[in-house]
Amino acid sequence: MLDFDEYYPGQWTMPTAKRLDSSAQARRAARDLKPGETVALGSGLPSLVPWELPPDNAVQFLTESGLLGSPAWGGQSSVQSGLVDSNGVGISLRPGASVNSTVDLAAMLRGGHVDVAILQASQASSRGDFTHWTTAATSGLFGPGFAVDLAAGARRVIAMMPHLGDDGAPNIVPICANPIDGAGCIDLIVTDIAVIKVNASGLELLEVAPGWRTDDVIGLTSAPLAVSPDLVEIAFDLSVFSASGGKASEKVFASGLDALSDLPDGAVVMIDGFAGPGGTPHYLLTSLRDHGARNLTIISNTAGIARVVNFGTPPGKQAIDHTILIDNRQVRKAIASYPVSPSASRPTAFELAYRRGEVELELVPQGTLAERLRAGGAGVAAFYTPTGVGTLISQGKESRVIGGREYVLEVALRADFCIIRGHRADTLGNVVYKGTSRNFNSVMAPSADVTVVEVDEVVAPGGLDPEKIVTPGLYVDRIVIRPGNFSPYE
Amino acid sequence: MPRGKVYATCEAALADISSGDTVLIGGFATCGVPRGLIGALCQKAVKDLTCVYSPGAWPNSAGSSGIDQLVANGQLKKLISALPFGPTADWGIIKNAWQTGKLEIEVLPQGTLAERLRAAGAGLGGVFLATGVGTRFAEGKEVRAFAQRECILELPLKADFALFKADTADTLGNVVYRGSGRNWGPVMAMAATVSIAEADRVCDPGGIDPEAVISSGIFVNRVVQGPDC
Repeated sequence: MLDFDEYYPGQWTMPTAKRLDSSAQARRAARDLKPGETVALGSGLPSLVPWELPPDNAVQFLTESGLLGSPAWGGQSSVQSGLVDSNGVGISLRPGASVNSTVDLAAMLRGGHVDVAILQASQASSRGDFTHWTTAATSGLFGPGFAVDLAAGARRVIAMMPHLGDDGAPNIVPICANPIDGAGCIDLIVTDIAVIKVNASGLELLEVAPGWRTDDVIGLTSAPLAVSPDLVEIAFDLSVFSASGGKASEKVFASGLDALSDLPDGAVVMIDGFAGPGGTPHYLLTSLRDHGARNLTIISNTAGIARVVNFGTPPGKQAIDHTILIDNRQVRKAIASYPVSPSASRPTAFELAYRRGEVELELVPQGTLAERLRAGGAGVAAFYTPTGVGTLISQGKESRVIGGREYVLEVALRADFCIIRGHRADTLGNVVYKGTSRNFNSVMAPSADVTVVEVDEVVAPGGLDPEKIVTPGLYVDRIVIRPGNFSPYE
Repeated sequence: MPRGKVYATCEAALADISSGDTVLIGGFATCGVPRGLIGALCQKAVKDLTCVYSPGAWPNSAGSSGIDQLVANGQLKKLISALPFGPTADWGIIKNAWQTGKLEIEVLPQGTLAERLRAAGAGLGGVFLATGVGTRFAEGKEVRAFAQRECILELPLKADFALFKADTADTLGNVVYRGSGRNWGPVMAMAATVSIAEADRVCDPGGIDPEAVISSGIFVNRVVQGPDC
């Protein structure tokens, strides 16, 4: 390790090479993004990043103010638009953006739905810990905003920061001097003189600012710094984001079977729907049957009751519901709140299979099912709920008295695939529903690795009112259009 | 008599607030700050309030500055916030009160604060979150691993009152917001015994598209037409 004073014993002067200004730092950070990624921006320097990219970039930025979608050029003032970025600066939105509340934004960040988080640190350490920039600025009182959440939930975390503090002391340190706001979470550090990667073994200098000598950067860094064999000068080219190369991957699939082609045997699959026709992804259910994957665990409100309850099915026809998967012997287990028929004399296909010992059942109260699904998508590992205390539901589960009331511990539910029924989607995956068909859609969509939505219509970005989007596009991976002649009955 | 849930003035909507109450106040930067209700609260002889506020109406914004006046009046005992001050502006009033021991401040990660409010509103006894593990935010809290990931037990944060800004409310308390003004309204409305929407417009039932309602009337107890401020 090179100690600052050892390296420059009494004869050192600050290098005369220019440090990067905020805009150049933001430009360098932008180079680490890819078209199609969802990128959350903390307050401070990170909010400058979108403005470095060309207007037609395909990056989805998420602000601390709850806006998902890139800010549009020529932003309006906040008074006119009621739209601000993470710094409180007025912006306007590009087509395809959505407006989200703070608690929904928190779920996006914590739930692992963000590809990259960019935050501003005052110190970063050898092991990727950081102290938020407001800590140094406010001597004991600080305001991390969403920074702690960004650090905990994003798949990749970039810290932007000045290389030196106002007092000239290095900000890249072996161990943070102030209390940390994230442990081991930083992947890349972009400063005004260098780009540094955080490896398990320590820090690696990847790039130096134009005109800077490697030794000078090392001298201004108090943490040990390995020099990359591929060390280069920081570059600022962003042409990859231009219209030709900057497209996000296409979410609209040609057919239901196409959209489910990689669904494996043994998958856990969420299926939307309340009970009757509304909100059931009939077309995707038939696609899943035609696909033929076996040994499935389905998570759904019912395990298929439309065939026995009828719900207005025309004479001579049968409603499409989970029954088609049961009959095709694709289901191993159901996690459901209403797996039985309301009429004992007309059992469902699932009930009959259960009595024959062919399927397993985990029974969950409906509200607990919704909450477990929400937890799965919102990065809540488990929660205490009063529902079911003292009943069969709580058997074998931890119970606990909190504030004088007894609760039972329930854990999050996640799935490999989720099939839901929307009304209208844009090509970015923003979805609106119709009437009570909204039901479980909005809690299921965030809770699966691959979420596939069946819609009546796909529109271009901007075709949906950003204030009325129910499921933002970052929760939806694939879109299929329900064929115009498709019948929910067979 | 109020018309449905509608109160004639901010003062009337806050008539039964008491010293020692916990009050949630919405707002992010200049957006969604219930300036009329904050102004009315400043005029009331209530003190020892615990206030959740994170953050709003930075001092460089137009009009009154968020909760500065409440702090200056000595009405606040404690502030719970992820960002107790504007990131770039002077925050002298809050800082002075904190440094002289007149105001207690609890800083939380913003997402954790939102989730604690939601837990209160959704009837949960506590939630396990990975946010802040290994940091100062885990101190004194139960930590437990789920699926090999350490999580912190966070408890619900229930309040007596919630004050938030709406774009339009109907007389049943259904609410829509505007732009970044949505911020804390939906979760704060859930978490308080009495939640009050300060709306730019108040309409009759049917005046809001049912598919577009963000906070359902079940979460909103009172509606007041916001004064022009």
